[in-house]
Amino acid sequence: MLDRTAKARSGRPALRVLTAPVEHEAPAPTVSFCSHCGARPSPSGEAPRSRVCGACGFGLLLESRADAAPKAGDAFIVLDRSLTVCAVSEAAERLLATREPEAVNRHVTDLLMPADAEESGGETLSMAVMWAARGDGGSHSATLRPANTFGIRLTARIAGCGPPRAALLVLE
Amino acid sequence: MRYLKTSEAAALLNVSPNTLRAWERRFGFPKPQRSPGKHRLFTHGEVAALRDALQEGLSISSAISRAREGLAADANSLVGALVSYERERADAAIEAALALRSVDRSVEEVLLPTLEEIARRYSVESAAWAFAAQWANDWLRRATRLTPPPVRPVSIVVGDASRDELDRDAPYIRALELFLLRAGVKVLSLSARGVAGIGDAATVHKPNLVVVAGGHLDDDTVARWAYAIRLAVGAMPLAIYRRGPERPRTRGTGTTVLPSGAGEAQRMVLELLESDAIIAATAAAGAAELRAQARSIRGNR
Repeated sequence: MLDRTAKARSGRPALRVLTAPVEHEAPAPTVSFCSHCGARPSPSGEAPRSRVCGACGFGLLLESRADAAPKAGDAFIVLDRSLTVCAVSEAAERLLATREPEAVNRHVTDLLMPADAEESGGETLSMAVMWAARGDGGSHSATLRPANTFGIRLTARIAGCGPPRAALLVLE
Repeated sequence: MRYLKTSEAAALLNVSPNTLRAWERRFGFPKPQRSPGKHRLFTHGEVAALRDALQEGLSISSAISRAREGLAADANSLVGALVSYERERADAAIEAALALRSVDRSVEEVLLPTLEEIARRYSVESAAWAFAAQWANDWLRRATRLTPPPVRPVSIVVGDASRDELDRDAPYIRALELFLLRAGVKVLSLSARGVAGIGDAATVHKPNLVVVAGGHLDDDTVARWAYAIRLAVGAMPLAIYRRGPERPRTRGTGTTVLPSGAGEAQRMVLELLESDAIIAATAAAGAAELRAQARSIRGNR
């Protein structure tokens, strides 16, 4: 594109690159949810005084994309990028026959195993969790089974959550 | 050392007191002590560590495990200081532990486990153990001297049957004495070797309970010692502490075996002192004393 001011100053035509304004994608709307019961705090406007869930008192409030966040009573777990269990919801405790205080700081494969025979399952799960924990904003899914059981298949949707950044794995 | 009431701890963490009590049930942390009126007393260090961890955590469980790790680091730093023979660093490490806990819990959760760890890693024949045991006994004695004077009308005679300072049981016996003193009990600690004159000591001290502690001296020596006390002040409830598992223990009645943990042993001794048996025995001893006085008065006439 010809820049007329440059031309006027130097007296000869010059080219200048003008960057097109970047179209900022509107950030996906986020919601808060409790890392234990999954309940979403009532949107009463005022920010909660602490991160502790007011409904059950056993979880911390995390944020996630509205379309990926669990609903109250959903089974979900939260993993950090090294695939360590950081939180287990109440429903997931029942589903996986564990308790959160025992499950935290253990590797996810103590609770869930990839059950995707067609794809090379292990890699997809760990890659999806790592991407989500890094905050790529996308949503992935994986097929899993409880670690000590065969014949049960669970579909998990994986998305980022936080703070601090982590991966949310909602079992459907 | 600062203690917080349930409401204060809850306010610091920005949760309700009910939530805090529910955490104690579900996670076992933060674990309060109890005041004499059975109210919960939280240590400021634990609550503050948890508050910081909650800001970073993804769940209460992970925050609690992080807070616990931070507190456990104290014990490790004490091990490090003792095995490198650094007295100042060891003092600093236990001071750091004291900032987060009461004296009793610092001894039970940091000092005694540290000694166990050193004994396990280097054996009790090592120089590391010699240094650590000496430092620990020294520290416990200092803490004992700083204890306020006893407030309860009960007293205990401890017969120390351990070998010397390097005996593995010695720090536990010192710790039990410290805990009992801190609970307001009068404690007279004597080596069980000193039989001659023990009767006088017992008459002056008027114990409500005799504790034989340590497993080095043989049963005969200890029995002579206990018998001398019995001659002086009459039958007396007897408790046995860290006398080893293989010894024949309870011959006859009135002998209690205390658990080997210093804190548990202290609680059991306090229960014993409060139980009816002791009160009855004290009353009986008092009555015997009255009768003896009456006899002597009659004799004088």
